[in-house]
Amino acid sequence: MSTGVQADPAKSAGSASSLTRRRPLGDRGFQVLALVAGLLVLAILIGIAVSTAQQGADWFSTAGFKGIFSTVWDVGNNQFGMMAFVYGTVISSVIAIIIAVPVSLGVALLLTEVVPRRWGQPIIVIIDLLAVVPSVVWGLWGILVLEPWIEPIYASIASGVNGIPVLDNLFGESNGGVSGASFFTCGLILAIMITPIITSLAREVIATVPAIDKEGAYALGATRWEMIRGAVWPHSQAGVVGAILVGLGRAMGETIAAALVIGSSVQVTSHLFVPGYSIPAVIANQFGESSGEFRSALIGLGLVLFVITIIVNLVARGVVERSARRSRGA
Amino acid sequence: MQFRGKQVVAASGAVAAAIALAACSSSSSSSSSAPSSAAASTPAASASTSASASSASGTISGAGSTFQTNFQQGAISAFKSVDPNITVNYNPVGSGTGRTDLYANSVLYAGSDSPIPSKEAKDVPAGKTVLYFPVQIGPIAIAYNLSGVTGLKLDATVLAEIFSGKITTWNDPAIKALNPSASLPSSSISLEVRSDSSGTTANFSQYLVDAAGSAWTLGTSSIISFPKSAHANDGGSAVAAAVKATPNSIGYVDFSTATATGLTAASIKNSAGDYVAPSSQSAAAAATHVTPKANLTFLTVDEPGATSYPITYQSWDLVYAKQPNANDAALLQAWLGYLLGAGQSLLTPLNLAPLPASIDAAAKAQLSQITS
Amino acid sequence: MAVVSDQPTIDLREPGGWRRSKNQIATVLMYVAFVIILIPLGLVIFEVIAKGAKAISWQFLTNSTIPPNVMPLGQGGMGAAVVGTLEITAFAAVIAVPLGILGAVYINEYGGGGKSWLSGLISFMSNVMVGVPSIVMGLFIFTVWVIPHGLTGLSGFAGSLALACLMLPLVIRSTYEMLRLVPDHLREASYALGATKSRVTLTVVLPSAISGIVSGSLLAIARAAGETAPLLFTIGLVESTNSNLFSGPTTALPSQIFSNALSPYVGAEERAWGAALTLIVIAFILLFVARIFTARFTRYAR
Repeated sequence: MSTGVQADPAKSAGSASSLTRRRPLGDRGFQVLALVAGLLVLAILIGIAVSTAQQGADWFSTAGFKGIFSTVWDVGNNQFGMMAFVYGTVISSVIAIIIAVPVSLGVALLLTEVVPRRWGQPIIVIIDLLAVVPSVVWGLWGILVLEPWIEPIYASIASGVNGIPVLDNLFGESNGGVSGASFFTCGLILAIMITPIITSLAREVIATVPAIDKEGAYALGATRWEMIRGAVWPHSQAGVVGAILVGLGRAMGETIAAALVIGSSVQVTSHLFVPGYSIPAVIANQFGESSGEFRSALIGLGLVLFVITIIVNLVARGVVERSARRSRGA
Repeated sequence: MQFRGKQVVAASGAVAAAIALAACSSSSSSSSSAPSSAAASTPAASASTSASASSASGTISGAGSTFQTNFQQGAISAFKSVDPNITVNYNPVGSGTGRTDLYANSVLYAGSDSPIPSKEAKDVPAGKTVLYFPVQIGPIAIAYNLSGVTGLKLDATVLAEIFSGKITTWNDPAIKALNPSASLPSSSISLEVRSDSSGTTANFSQYLVDAAGSAWTLGTSSIISFPKSAHANDGGSAVAAAVKATPNSIGYVDFSTATATGLTAASIKNSAGDYVAPSSQSAAAAATHVTPKANLTFLTVDEPGATSYPITYQSWDLVYAKQPNANDAALLQAWLGYLLGAGQSLLTPLNLAPLPASIDAAAKAQLSQITS
Repeated sequence: MAVVSDQPTIDLREPGGWRRSKNQIATVLMYVAFVIILIPLGLVIFEVIAKGAKAISWQFLTNSTIPPNVMPLGQGGMGAAVVGTLEITAFAAVIAVPLGILGAVYINEYGGGGKSWLSGLISFMSNVMVGVPSIVMGLFIFTVWVIPHGLTGLSGFAGSLALACLMLPLVIRSTYEMLRLVPDHLREASYALGATKSRVTLTVVLPSAISGIVSGSLLAIARAAGETAPLLFTIGLVESTNSNLFSGPTTALPSQIFSNALSPYVGAEERAWGAALTLIVIAFILLFVARIFTARFTRYAR
């Protein structure tokens, strides 16, 4: 019995089969189904961009590009400037990265280089547990437990740096004193939330470093730290940067924890221990009460957030995949 | 580690059983015994069972004023034993958004602390008449967080200057003049205000316009542009939470929420010259002086009377006179009838005040104007 | 014989002094990093259990009436939210998991694992989509589903759609990784027996990767169960159970925690902790089951 279609020996198994060749209907149908499912990803992304742009157009037509850079947010007078929220998003995410990166990389290196495989399992379990705690629970803990506990600490730091030039601007008191709900608290909670992501991505990247380079370094008498600096780091540099960027994207988009602990105050200030606002937080808090141009402005903010996180993730993934390809080739 | 198949099956079986149990026990919501224990804890239980169940059944959605939150939630809970066939949901999104939801037909009734402002008149769908059903009266508390200070006294002028940012510290001479025996700190006043479109803001600012005269320059509206130093909060509960958590703060929030949060409220000087503390009784006293218009709208701020609390306000449930179908009309009549009838006895325990008898009667008579 | 004397000498002793200290400090810092991540995890679990256990009771988990915020603990319960979470998340999984598996099948089986431009694009974009903020997904479904439907727009179904958008890239990514690990010789053997591609995929490739796929899907479900932002504008708010997923607003555990966290009343706060404990237990159970499946898969793949 000969089959209707002869497999081409030159093609590797698993490559795309043309839909136009004579194949059973169910087989072609399955391929179409799979293709549609795949295209859904693109459709959703395009749909998000288009629908938010449409809804935000109302605001954009009145405010224009100036609206994105204005810091005036006055709902009563229909003034919707976005800058304060962009600032808050960026600041809290940067704080999160500064705190999370050393910790995440430390744990990633601990897992890949230091700890024998058996003992690595419990550590991985702990990272998974950290990752699976819902963001609203972090927010609840943040607002009810962390904030009251950390406010006196902020107050003593603020009085400590009173008068010192740069530190006072960062950690000193603003006109309203310090607050438990602030940019810094938000950054802290975000750092806790993005650590598992950065750790697991960094682990993947570090694992692609060729063993031969690592063993070569040891063979030359390097200590473990010197091996990490000399063999692991050059190879995984780009990938680790990509992992950090993915974490940054996640921190920027985190909504609920930020909405609860950032303090809901529209202001642009260098002081970190005072309340602020971020894009996802203001959308979450004020969307239910918005209408007309206000709602359009909030959706416009959503679009701005979407664009920012897409760009960050594009760069991140591009960097990660390029470094992975390079080391696979090596 | 060996994970035997049996362990996997046991684990997934446990999860599935938990899901099934939860689904089964909550699907018996219509025959639940729990609501009767909820009703038993409110003193109005006996009153609520005297209302008879209507023939309508279904779900009503309402949204709006945060001032009505405690009343609506309590009434919804008690109403279950009165008429188990009707389910009510109320979303406290603020008066302004509630009205917008009504115009957009996403809700059947909107809770609003002020009548539809003139600039919103164009948003009402053409040909639709809105009926106002007053449902509750209550005080706006000026809540403050000052350690060692109780019985703070304030008047309209000082309030206006505090909330417009002219008075910035607690030991300002104007405040001291009204409270000679209080030890007021020199710290700055933290203002807690509303950021959302709020009937509480509208009525509070209306009071300041009426009673403080030229001392108040920010006008009256659902959203006021308070001074930059004021901290804006979404919703009455948020203001209460903020005042509770921030030392040396002061904010305006409905009294029901303030007391439930455990806040202290200031006594305000009324038009008769007496300093009156907010309470269910002082609000009811203010309401007795009110004469509503034909459409049952009125203002309760700055009413005369020695025992009247000057910053008293009211809230309405707004519905369209013409409903799309008979069932919706019947549902609304049953629900609003309960709020105006047996439900009024829920108000005093919540530190709100029931409607004066004449206004309540007029509102009940208006129920027949809901048609389909 | 070569003369050895002018070759550089390799020092085979233990590195001394500063080099050794640097190494030790680095190692200690790495352990410190691990301790640092233990602290918030331990604190939050401790607080949730300590404060939430007080609220947990059979009535709390199953009573279908959510009490007014002012009410103290003991009245009503979160049954409505538990049912809401289970229903909405389960339906989101029903939508997202099959579509995600199919998408990954397309990328790996029909696209040569990213070689064709389309599958490469889809694979790349689904990685990017993982990073889209969940609130944007909520806004998207609000705009395209809730608004056009007016009064009936808010529903558990809309929430499921939003969560499905969130889960889709996660499922695609983890399934893709699992499919890649299935050895080619299994596929080739099936082709050699004359099977069509769909048959190979359905009867050989997917079953061998199934443990890993289930594990990845469970993790995506755990993530979705804990998300609040997509539900904010899509499911509304209710005070009693709505078991009909397709009509009428409903509520879910994360939404209740969020609104109760903002409430100034003691009873509401306690209910928030109880709901948080319930949610964490659900998430941990899903994680635990996922780990079981991962262990089975790793055992098989080795």
